[in-house]
Amino acid sequence: MREVYVVGIGITSFTRLEYPLSEIAAFPAMVALKDAGLSKVDHVYVANMGSARLNHQTGLASAVVDTLSLTPAGAEVIENGPASGASAIKQGFMAVASGLHDTVLVTSAERLREVNNLEATDVVASLSHPLAEYIYGVTLPSLAAMFTRLYMQKYGVTERHLAMVAVKNHDNALLNFFAHLHEKITLEGILDSPEAMTNNPYVAEPLRFFDCCPVSDGGAAVILASAEVAKQLNKPMIRLAGVGQATDTHCVHERAEPTDLLAVRGAAAKAFQMAGVSPSDVNVAELHDAFTILEIVESEEVGFFKKGEGHLALERGETRLGGRLPINTSGGLKAKGHPVGATGVGQAHEIVLQLRGEADKRQVKDARIGFTCNFGGFGNNVVCLVFKREN
Amino acid sequence: MALEIYAYQCKKCGQLHYPFRMVCKKCGNLEPFEFNTVALPKNGKLLTFTTVHNLPPDFNVAKLSLGIVELENGMRITGQLKVPSPKIGMAVSGKVEIVREAEYSKNFGMVFYPA
Repeated sequence: MREVYVVGIGITSFTRLEYPLSEIAAFPAMVALKDAGLSKVDHVYVANMGSARLNHQTGLASAVVDTLSLTPAGAEVIENGPASGASAIKQGFMAVASGLHDTVLVTSAERLREVNNLEATDVVASLSHPLAEYIYGVTLPSLAAMFTRLYMQKYGVTERHLAMVAVKNHDNALLNFFAHLHEKITLEGILDSPEAMTNNPYVAEPLRFFDCCPVSDGGAAVILASAEVAKQLNKPMIRLAGVGQATDTHCVHERAEPTDLLAVRGAAAKAFQMAGVSPSDVNVAELHDAFTILEIVESEEVGFFKKGEGHLALERGETRLGGRLPINTSGGLKAKGHPVGATGVGQAHEIVLQLRGEADKRQVKDARIGFTCNFGGFGNNVVCLVFKREN
Repeated sequence: MALEIYAYQCKKCGQLHYPFRMVCKKCGNLEPFEFNTVALPKNGKLLTFTTVHNLPPDFNVAKLSLGIVELENGMRITGQLKVPSPKIGMAVSGKVEIVREAEYSKNFGMVFYPA
């Protein structure tokens, strides 16, 4: 298997974007091509989840490859729910590692705000089991809420811990120009003050408004290349060193231990094994905090902290900027935003920025090893990536 | 006759599944349609629950409670919850009712009440 490097990155703001979906995918691709110093690539993958339903557009990859004038390069859409982004990167990795292609553009786009928030919630809810979950009114926030209630009872996580994740990630997002929410929040404002219930109402009890990610449009791109190509481009050598994926039952109620996220555990273990590093070697991580509880639980399942102790590490400040292992320096899904199909590529963008030392005010000092966890469905399809700086 | 929701029992190894799956999770039997239907029990205890305030647009209610129930035979089911003040571990009893209605379709599912 050949080694695979990230040679270019690009991103749009994660926010409400008033231009066509294909352009949301193309713009970050142009930034990434410029960043890499390439004008052509061998292949294009486009990560997207909902174009057919949200934007009445299918065959998005064909539109994107042409608008970028990259024809006749091959192009496909990769759809794996909210983990589409990391799945597309995994496909790009396989294409370069196998020797089939030398350069692959992995771009991504989602335009959820073309429909209203309730419809967007419904489209995302269609990830759940059609007959055993969806028909009841199950939404992703509701699955996360039922999971949170069990986690609170079993491990002593409180609403305060959840709010601490939100405050931390909103603070990080203030340092990220491309983040959706540039809004300073405080524990007092969202939890303690008499107005807290107005500022921060329940969405799905016990999860409140500020425990849930915003509904974002956005796109992000990375360019993957073989070592031979990467060495010619005069960029920091950032290697995509580990790729891991695992799945779990479609229905949350079928899981033997409902507080476990086995797909996260499995995907992370495979990614670390391939990269030849352990969780304690990681300097910076982007975890899939579509709900605040998920940052805490994923930080345990991937092996950064013991099961049931993620919230204690959070309390000690280990996961904030300046801590032992900063998590979600970009603001995470919570505050950077969650354009579902593009999120995984956005996570990779942040990690590459950090490993290059280009993360400006949110730079993690001397970051050499970075990690991303992209969580599909409610934990039924998870892709983890490990990135290493080599020079 | 009371409406039922069915579990699927593997004809080869006896393993029960809910919801339906094509291949038995325990024995992996690849012969098609090798399942018998067995009505799920209606009584159980509440494993976890939530009240959702942000529902898809076809629900004409402001909020709705959902829960996962561990049934008498140890199987679990997700359903709607019509319980005034739900608590983890409380005994509940289910009825099969309309849980979601669209213009041309009615979906039946399990609704849990205090036992």
